[in-house]
Amino acid sequence: MALKGFRRNFKPLEILTQEQLEAIHRGTLEVLWVTGVRMEHEGALTTLEKNGCKIDHEDFRAHFPPGLVEESLRNCPSTFHIKSRDPNSSLTMGGNTVYFLPFPGQHTIDLDTWEPRTATRKEFYDGVTVLDALPYVHGMWSYTPYFGFEGVPPAMALLESMAGKIRRTTKFLTEGYSKGSEQFTMQMAQAVDTEMSVPCLLSPPLTYYHDAIEAALRGIEAGFPIRVSEGAVYGGTAPVTIAGALVSATANLIAPIVLLQLVKPGARIFVNDFTFPQNMKTGSPGFGDIGISLHAAAFNQIWRRYGVPTCNGAAIPASKRIDFQGGYERAMSTLLFALSGANFILLHGGISSELTHHPVQAILDDDIAGMVGRFLEGITVNDETLAIDLIEEVGPIPGHFLNKPHTRKWWKLEQFIPKAADRLTYPEWMNTGKKGCLDYARDRMEHILATHKPTPLTSSQEQDIERILEEARSYYKERGLIPDDEMATYRNSMKSSNYPYE
Amino acid sequence: MALKGFPRNFKPLEILTQEQLDAIHRGTLEVLWVTGVRMEHKRALQLLEKNGCRVDYQNGRAYFPPGLVEDCLRRAPSSFPARARDPGNTLMLGGDTLYFAPAPGQMTVDLDTWEPRTATRKEYYDGVKVLDALSTLHFFTTYTPYFGFQGVPPCMGMLESLAARVRNSSKFVVAGHSNNSEIFAISMAQALGIEVIGTCTAAPPLTFYQDAIDSAFRLAEAGMPVRVVGAPVMGGSAPATVAGSMVSNLAEVMAALVLVQLIRPGARVLVLDFAMPMNMKTGAPAFGSMEVCMHIAAFNQIFRKYGVPTYNADGYPGSKMPDYQSGYEKAFRALTTGLSGGSARPLHGGVYGELSHHPVQAILDDDIAGMVGRFLQGITVNDETLAIDLIEEVGPIPGHFLNKPHTRKWWKLEQFTPKAADRLTYPEWMNTGKKGCLDYARDRMEHILAIHKPTPLTPGQEEDVERILEEARNYYQERGLITDDEMLTYRNGMKSPNYPYE
Repeated sequence: MALKGFRRNFKPLEILTQEQLEAIHRGTLEVLWVTGVRMEHEGALTTLEKNGCKIDHEDFRAHFPPGLVEESLRNCPSTFHIKSRDPNSSLTMGGNTVYFLPFPGQHTIDLDTWEPRTATRKEFYDGVTVLDALPYVHGMWSYTPYFGFEGVPPAMALLESMAGKIRRTTKFLTEGYSKGSEQFTMQMAQAVDTEMSVPCLLSPPLTYYHDAIEAALRGIEAGFPIRVSEGAVYGGTAPVTIAGALVSATANLIAPIVLLQLVKPGARIFVNDFTFPQNMKTGSPGFGDIGISLHAAAFNQIWRRYGVPTCNGAAIPASKRIDFQGGYERAMSTLLFALSGANFILLHGGISSELTHHPVQAILDDDIAGMVGRFLEGITVNDETLAIDLIEEVGPIPGHFLNKPHTRKWWKLEQFIPKAADRLTYPEWMNTGKKGCLDYARDRMEHILATHKPTPLTSSQEQDIERILEEARSYYKERGLIPDDEMATYRNSMKSSNYPYE
Repeated sequence: MALKGFPRNFKPLEILTQEQLDAIHRGTLEVLWVTGVRMEHKRALQLLEKNGCRVDYQNGRAYFPPGLVEDCLRRAPSSFPARARDPGNTLMLGGDTLYFAPAPGQMTVDLDTWEPRTATRKEYYDGVKVLDALSTLHFFTTYTPYFGFQGVPPCMGMLESLAARVRNSSKFVVAGHSNNSEIFAISMAQALGIEVIGTCTAAPPLTFYQDAIDSAFRLAEAGMPVRVVGAPVMGGSAPATVAGSMVSNLAEVMAALVLVQLIRPGARVLVLDFAMPMNMKTGAPAFGSMEVCMHIAAFNQIFRKYGVPTYNADGYPGSKMPDYQSGYEKAFRALTTGLSGGSARPLHGGVYGELSHHPVQAILDDDIAGMVGRFLQGITVNDETLAIDLIEEVGPIPGHFLNKPHTRKWWKLEQFTPKAADRLTYPEWMNTGKKGCLDYARDRMEHILAIHKPTPLTPGQEEDVERILEEARNYYQERGLITDDEMLTYRNGMKSPNYPYE
């Protein structure tokens, strides 16, 4: 039993010809062998060397022979199950199914001034509650909804964030890592009998630092699925051309896949495209750029050939407000990711760059997810939907379809009705206070917060989570990563009678 | 030399399987033969009968044999030019090229209250000027920008609107029909040495009134291309299912196409898709719904099989203002048309439904069109863009691509930069007044109105246009369609020294 997600019932969009795809594959194999990848991890290099890679230990550089690369890709399962706390929220990753996940933001946002500010503990937990309630949020992502909240020292942000999600949702979890946090996140997952995906994050171009490899090796040892993530900026850390960025992204992602398949053949891996063109005017990543979608569409096609499930993470607007620009930027990238065959799409709640998130935005994005999902379902064609006999029965004017049982039965099956969209006529809209989608989304947020009850942890699970958090606090404090005054603020923030929720 | 438009450089999206497509085709032929189509036009029925249709004169019903239908589909050209006043703006419709037109609105909107009101003559002409200046706006369709303007009697709305477009733009124009207005549209086109695509619109289900058929005859006989239109509402004038509404809509469009091909074999036909679900709560068409995109995708796929260029008519959001909802609704539509191979679609300027339009919205939509166009261009794959040698040269960290000539050359070729989007970083945005896309679009509108100079008509052409308008005024006045006080107001509205522009 797994969460259904949205199934695409027609051929995926293919932006590359077969010949273009071959050229990118060939280029990737050339880079992996000739240029190689720097992996600052002696254990990894030794394993790779033993299996036929050419290693330059001084430079931490591994050169991958094409035969080994292709064999490792074949060893990756094309579809796999991932267990959640609630078995009904488990996922089956891969194939032509799309799942939507939230998009992280460092801060929350003021809905009147659009200025960002740090979320409170209550806002963090409420944010998770809203994501738990939305039907098209199929799992959680690291750092979602926010990177942390008021009073939490930076070293603990990731773990407090994970605890918030474990406490407030039964949906699938994917986590990041920072300063060895994966030791604690994995314990937390085990404590509530859930799996989570552990990341292996690249530092482009062609470099993996020790902690990235270490986290992936720990994850794979614990039997968790691994997310290998590419975060290049084309023009900065990758070639500025999309074709060149694809070659470097593919080479980057394959390197740890080879290592992980050597350590544990058949290991569950998915690849994440989180790449952006460089905005040449500001020097920052080109959020909202159509180049993101071009890259992702080709990325999904390439990895479908390899049979490795994909995640597309870069559908994040540049607009600082929830406005027209944010709407078209998000819609285009989300639809293109879905049509070209992404399995995970980060969508809900992110407002601008990776810097802001808001539950109201997540509610608006749930409608985008529903609409894209409706499109993916495709068109049901059979005698009943073709309705030839009905068309004959109704005939030309004055015939009509309004009063037919066929209409009463099928309109609900065929139409997707967004929950926070304005679909009134002008007179109705004028007479009901000229409400727009933002007003409807605010109403829905209040309704969810008033009525939605996430499945709570058992009291022993809650004790485990608090114990693991406490261990982590001591661990980071001992290592000097939480100074005394940060710790005092942190402890003070835990004194509410509603702790941990407020 | 025709206008380039946006070529699509990869395979179109196919939402139907071959079997589904065949089932819809078969169903359409069955409806055309068994149910038939009502055409309230004796001359048309006679022509159809002479060519093998079974005709019931009493009910005005024609039954189309499959052989004739398929023969006429083959006769319609798969690509054809349509001549504009400036030869550089001539269209070459069909194939893998997408053109954008403006989305009409009955009225303009107030940018602060978002309430609709009738445009003034100056606003109308300014609206045309802005559309003339936008590079992704390739031609004008009927009723754009507005259905008419202050002081113009309803029956002259269409012709005054056409006159404004030929005066303030040298782009290609499409003409509608209302109370025989096509007579004057054709003479205006002939006087200017241009072509217009005229329209033949069904009254679904399966009915054509006399005026629609008159328009088809007049256009085909004058050698003008004809746009054939069915405009069903799924659940009202068509079955509630997407598949069933495809069948009835195709039967309508194909009946008109057969007629046009019989009037003039090889006549240029553009088939128009304008199907919307019924909003079962309000009874109005459900503007902004996703099922429209599915209908479009299937429609384009079917007519690609037939080899007839398509126009996807519903660029219309359900939102009353350019907000997040409107952004995603518009993006989904523009992208679906582009991916599934539509030849043309309205996009620019429509605010809500077909009921409002604004140049600021058109400027925002210019960026959507540019992004869709960039995506359709696809990915350039060759040795230079693959950049294998550059990747080798740069290698792992501390290598980077920022200072490379390859980056300087290619970023401008690869990146599309929108003109009215906020792409600043948070600090830059805070320091520059927190401007959003609407602010940028207003600025751009003022800039265009201050500097853009449309190619004027020659004095001889201007005289012809005014003469034909005067003929039309007399024609409608004689037929009692313009009352005396309407005419008085109308004449008063023409007294400005800046007539016809103010």
